[in-house]
Amino acid sequence: MTQRYLILEDGSAYAGKAFGSLATTTGELVANSTMNGYQEIISNQIYHNQIIVFTQTSIGNTGLAQNAYESVLPTAKGVIVREYENLATDHFKRISLDRYLKRHKIPGIYDVDTRQIRRHLQQKGNMKASIVDVADEHAFDQLHATVLTNQQVAQVATPKPYPNPDEGANVIVVDFGLKSGILRELSKRDCNITVVPWNSTSETILDLDPDGVVLSTGPGAPGNLPESVLQMIREVQTQVPLFGIGLGHELFAMANGAKISQLRVEHHGSNHPIREIITNEIFFSGQEQGYAVDSKSIDHAKLFITHIDLVNGTVQGLRHRDYPAFSVQFSPDGAPGPKDSVGLFDDFTEFMARRRDNNGDEY
Amino acid sequence: MATNIKKLLLLGGGPTNIGHENELDAAAYERLSAIKRTGAQVIYVDNNPFSFASEEVQPADVYVQEVNFQNVVNIIEKEKPDAIMPKIGGLNAMQVAWQLEESDVLANNNIQLLGIRPIDLKKVLDNQQLRELLDETGEPIIASKIVASDDEAMDFVRDVGFPVIVKPLSASHDTSRFICNNTDEMEDALEISFKRTYIKWVSIEQSIVGYKEIEMVAIRDENGNKLLISGLEDMDPIGIHSGDSIIFAPTQTLINQEYQSLRTATFRIMDAINITGTCHIQFAQSRTDSNYFVTKVSPFFTRNALLAAKSTGYPLSYVSTLLEMGYALPEIKLPEKYSKYLPFMEPTMDHVVVRIPLWPFRDIPDVDQHLNTLMKSVGSTIGIGRTVEEAIMKAMHSSQFSPRDILPSVSKISDDDVINQLIHPLASRILILMEAIRRGFSIDELSELTKIDRFYFYKMNQLLRAQDFVINNPLSPTAVEVGHKYGFGDGMLAELWNVNISTIERMNRNSKTKVTFKEVEPSAGEFLETTNVFYSSYELENESQPCVGKTALIIGRGGNQLGPNAAADYYTAQVLDTAHKAGYKTIIMNTNPNAISLAPALSDKQYIEPIQLGNILNIVNLEKPDIIFLPGNRHYLSKKLKEFADLNIVVLPPDQKVAKYNQRKATDAVDLFIDHDRILPITTISFYTNSHRTELRYINNYQQPMNHWQTDEQKLIDLAINKIDTSQWQGLVQVLFNRIDDQSGYQFSGIRPIRITESAFLNKTTGINWIDALVKKYLGILDIDHLSEYYQPGTHKRYAMMEAVFPFKELQSNRKDGTSTQEVGSSLSFKNIES
Repeated sequence: MTQRYLILEDGSAYAGKAFGSLATTTGELVANSTMNGYQEIISNQIYHNQIIVFTQTSIGNTGLAQNAYESVLPTAKGVIVREYENLATDHFKRISLDRYLKRHKIPGIYDVDTRQIRRHLQQKGNMKASIVDVADEHAFDQLHATVLTNQQVAQVATPKPYPNPDEGANVIVVDFGLKSGILRELSKRDCNITVVPWNSTSETILDLDPDGVVLSTGPGAPGNLPESVLQMIREVQTQVPLFGIGLGHELFAMANGAKISQLRVEHHGSNHPIREIITNEIFFSGQEQGYAVDSKSIDHAKLFITHIDLVNGTVQGLRHRDYPAFSVQFSPDGAPGPKDSVGLFDDFTEFMARRRDNNGDEY
Repeated sequence: MATNIKKLLLLGGGPTNIGHENELDAAAYERLSAIKRTGAQVIYVDNNPFSFASEEVQPADVYVQEVNFQNVVNIIEKEKPDAIMPKIGGLNAMQVAWQLEESDVLANNNIQLLGIRPIDLKKVLDNQQLRELLDETGEPIIASKIVASDDEAMDFVRDVGFPVIVKPLSASHDTSRFICNNTDEMEDALEISFKRTYIKWVSIEQSIVGYKEIEMVAIRDENGNKLLISGLEDMDPIGIHSGDSIIFAPTQTLINQEYQSLRTATFRIMDAINITGTCHIQFAQSRTDSNYFVTKVSPFFTRNALLAAKSTGYPLSYVSTLLEMGYALPEIKLPEKYSKYLPFMEPTMDHVVVRIPLWPFRDIPDVDQHLNTLMKSVGSTIGIGRTVEEAIMKAMHSSQFSPRDILPSVSKISDDDVINQLIHPLASRILILMEAIRRGFSIDELSELTKIDRFYFYKMNQLLRAQDFVINNPLSPTAVEVGHKYGFGDGMLAELWNVNISTIERMNRNSKTKVTFKEVEPSAGEFLETTNVFYSSYELENESQPCVGKTALIIGRGGNQLGPNAAADYYTAQVLDTAHKAGYKTIIMNTNPNAISLAPALSDKQYIEPIQLGNILNIVNLEKPDIIFLPGNRHYLSKKLKEFADLNIVVLPPDQKVAKYNQRKATDAVDLFIDHDRILPITTISFYTNSHRTELRYINNYQQPMNHWQTDEQKLIDLAINKIDTSQWQGLVQVLFNRIDDQSGYQFSGIRPIRITESAFLNKTTGINWIDALVKKYLGILDIDHLSEYYQPGTHKRYAMMEAVFPFKELQSNRKDGTSTQEVGSSLSFKNIES
């Protein structure tokens, strides 16, 4: 087994064994504490430019399911795990996890003290890291010199629109780095979907005659996207029901005047209780966030808070006062994570149905 | 929100037996501290003499009685509680609660049933109603039908398909079941079955033999907030009782979609039965598609509920209690050492827990030892590691009957026996599985034969390869490293290489990997929790800081087996309690997930580590304890530990090997407490037995005080004191006598240290904590004058009886007479002495 290193911006280095690609990569180091769904996590585009530390002890115990990829082309920068077993293959035993990672140039390191790395991150906060062959001065110099792109969305989102036809409500999904779970849930509700590029204008979107618009999940800071995106949201929300998820939620908040702040430590997991304010009930959902809506900055004439994270107090859901537009920070599609809040997709289809019944009069 | 419950009746779990050991008592103990914080008064009913929890309740509020309908009705009439809490009393207490409801006792006395509403309780306890409820909820259950003819059976099969299970309905205990894969097999099975049942009904059900068995443990509050504690995966498929299966936490071979479906199903069922507190639901998960069936709903505290709690570090009993009393999940406040977020965060694990059952066949060999749908194990041990291999190895290590560091294996059996046991599994199955790999069976073949997921065979194969490497490379630094990585303790390396353990310790000093201790906490490193529960792994960061101040290390007994183990666990808990109250920081080391001695509040620090020399020394090297208590008779360990001159080791009670017998028969005994030259009489005891055997080893029943106490007690005490040479006998000592007849009186039989079971009995019957006194004596803080004031000989108002419980019926054995090594528990009762 080839020995390789995970080196961190603060000078620490961890030796482990290589699997997957042998590429040298640099990204932000984030820890994910979900206990299942390594396949969904690795293939989620929000991990573009990031190296994922799994706190679950092993990945690869279960097969690569045909219907559990969250993207076609995963763009994570690395996978760090305590134990890796190359048992996981697809249904036909053709593609193993190792081969999948090699094909997509994602390096992996196993046999490292991932618990120490996770605790270290928690204490020191977000930082860059590299996966390298030799942990020498040169490697650290390279790491410090590397400037990570802020064009993540443009790099992973679809450049062209494409349809996913069905017979139900006409939904436009704006792709900021879409996870497939969103499409899966809309398809289960028979939605006739068109996925459009992140920089589509409101005219382009409304010309498709939507019953509703979804602002998708995606990687990076919402502030990296141009004002035109916020303008699009401001215009679309007045016309049709809108549902923002993840990055889409952050953009929805910004479009309505809220500010976004970066979390000291990114939170990726499904262990935080989320309280739905109206019912006072708590539930759990996959959360993958590096940023949060600053609750003090919310213009309460426009938005109200629907959900909060009971552990770190972050805003987890917003609703517009005047329009049927709402958004959540977490991933209600449960890929991976609990499906406690999957009903939000029903709420969205309900909004669309109501609009249809009223011929759009209320808008 | 606060509770308005002022007085609460808590139903206990009764004597330990197959199916439940001390976990119910451990849960009760944690419950009591939660209830205390609400200010409610607790009335506790239990007849387990080894209950530690009952000592946390005011003596006047403890009823030492069997938990049954009539007893509970009497207690209710006397005590007038506002609420009754049945969920830690197992299925028995739930059934009693239902009887109370049905007979209007709850309504007439205005008593609230906690944890589940009466209407829902009935649905869960009645199989037919449960089926209907699950059906309404949309949760799949196995189709089954009672048929009276072949035609009806064929109709059924047309609906559900093969395989099916056919079994005759009859009142006898015949458990024959036929698995039928096609029409021919079914016709044969029906023919035999109709012959065997005189009522001419046969049950036929869809077969799920070979499905994966998955268990989910979750909690719910009155408002419907739910949280999953953990999923558990049984390595053995459906067909082997979960209690006899090797269990992994977290689940290892489910994909996210499957896992989330079962989580959602669990929550849906909990909503449907409106449960509050803990719920444990079992599922059969198909190996080939995403289908599953609900197989069991336990709306009460179970053995595996505790396993889920131990595995994650979540304070389940404590939280569950408050939820049952009406608090909402976000309102729960935990004892200070936990972070305030912990009660409502869903546990996430960054370690692997493996539970391996322990079976009683060494002590009761003449029974059917095959593993099937009837549970036969009496205990279990867990291994915790950062990898699956490490956890398996540690659990295997702990599950051996011997404390020696010997690699378990079954290399001597024939190929035929291996195949036979793969198909018809016996106890200690994992050894056979590994032996089969060693003999060249392919993993696919093994998985097909056993219906165990290939994943586990890969892991076992890795272990075997590691083992070969270690054996073939004696004393090589790489082999030490490999051994450590795969969970071989230093003691095992020493045994394998036939060297002294100090040789391995010297090698460790130069090794790249060092032993580190990681915390078992439910946030996977997100919060700096202080559960103070640790396990070892050979990694980089050690999280366990040595306790500051005077420290006492108490070495627990490990997994429950037959014999005095339940009592030993009680004994261990008492040692912890006394040492703690004497100002020591207490450290417990144990591997029994059900042990009361592992209750979080009972010690300052817990190590879940194999009770083996190498592992003990690792902890000793870190903690440098001032005193080490070794409760119970463990000759090998005490001998080995005493070789280390700098360790201050106290074996309690002193080794039974020091006992001196004139004869191996006795009818009566005098129990004494001896401190230096002071001899305090404790009480007199009469032995009795239900069998005709009167040898000491067949005596498992005790009565206090002795028969004929009115005339003979003082005489016998004087005789006993006369026999004692205080230079030889200290602490709790028993002088044995054999009563010949009225004329000839008593013959001296021998002297021995008071055994663990009887020490527990003395605590319960005399009202004085003699184990506490003994520990204080060894800590040098005993006030003997204070103790002597308690004893008032001569007057007795009641007899106390402790009678052994044997697992013969559960094991389908015809045996009646049991020896003390075959006990699984005991029951305690009192009888007034008529004056």
